[in-house]
Amino acid sequence: MAALKILLPYNFRSLDQKALAFANSTFGHLDEVEITLFHAYTPLPEIEADSTSVMGKLKGDLSYLSQKIMQQEAELKAVEEKLLQTGFLQNRLHTIFKPRKRDIAAEIIELVTNDNFNVVIINHKSGKASRFFTGSVFSKVVSALKDTTVCIVS
Amino acid sequence: MGNAEKIDINVFKAVARAIAHSDDLELMTGHLTQLLVGTLEIKGCSIFALEPESGELELLSSFGLSSAYLNKGPVFSNKSIGAIKKGKPVIIRDLEDMDLLQYPQEAREEGIGAIVSLPIKFYGKNIGALRLYHHEQWEISETDIDSLLVLAEIIGLAMTYTRLLNALKEVKDTVNDVHSIWFNAIGG
Repeated sequence: MAALKILLPYNFRSLDQKALAFANSTFGHLDEVEITLFHAYTPLPEIEADSTSVMGKLKGDLSYLSQKIMQQEAELKAVEEKLLQTGFLQNRLHTIFKPRKRDIAAEIIELVTNDNFNVVIINHKSGKASRFFTGSVFSKVVSALKDTTVCIVS
Repeated sequence: MGNAEKIDINVFKAVARAIAHSDDLELMTGHLTQLLVGTLEIKGCSIFALEPESGELELLSSFGLSSAYLNKGPVFSNKSIGAIKKGKPVIIRDLEDMDLLQYPQEAREEGIGAIVSLPIKFYGKNIGALRLYHHEQWEISETDIDSLLVLAEIIGLAMTYTRLLNALKEVKDTVNDVHSIWFNAIGG
């Protein structure tokens, strides 16, 4: 088992690229490192069957919506590929692309706890207004985790 | 694209349920953007929160747009589709004809043909923006614009509601952290 098991939540924003660069420069040269890129996407909304016209419209365009989600998964794989090229070993690199069921902080906390990650690299959302409305992911994660190193990129 | 009405009561029902069934703003707005892209058959949709001091529109949720386009740089309400700051809807039916965009080149490269931008208000104050992006020219009907304005108001209510709910949860967590011994020590 790797000495450092790192979780890097990735949301395709510029700050995530910065977090990726940090992971690469800090851990890329180490042998006993395992890194997991994690993205929780918004699953397509469930619509009750009685809303026939909406269902009809959505069904018609469902392939477009699904295709967009698949594109994101491919983008995450491309990020993994980038990490491979910079020195991380293939068997030490993983991606998790899953539908989100709750807020992103709760998803991260659950994953770290269940899968025994000992390092989390997370970014500090720079936007004041969006943080005001959605809450701070990093402060929720930091206050909930124990025995975990949390690296914050801002 | 024609200007027949696309937003009917069933779309409102689906949107209202998406809002009512979630207390997580990012999940809720994520569903809203998907619903609007699916039902209006458009390229993408974004919901922004307005930072009142800097005037920056900060992305809350988006669907259908590439990460390259979303990472193009900060979006400012006074530079990007300017009239949004005045609280009016802005309809750019054909991107080729207009010069209102902060990032016109990036929009063209993304394959955006038309944009509809609507203010998200709460008690008459701008707190964000709802933007819809079409692949091609878009003759959106006046009725659909009216419906979208109402929808933007509902989003404003949902944003404020979830903010209050988050504050309430924080108060509850803080109260739960107070040990009875500490409470007694301060004369409770």
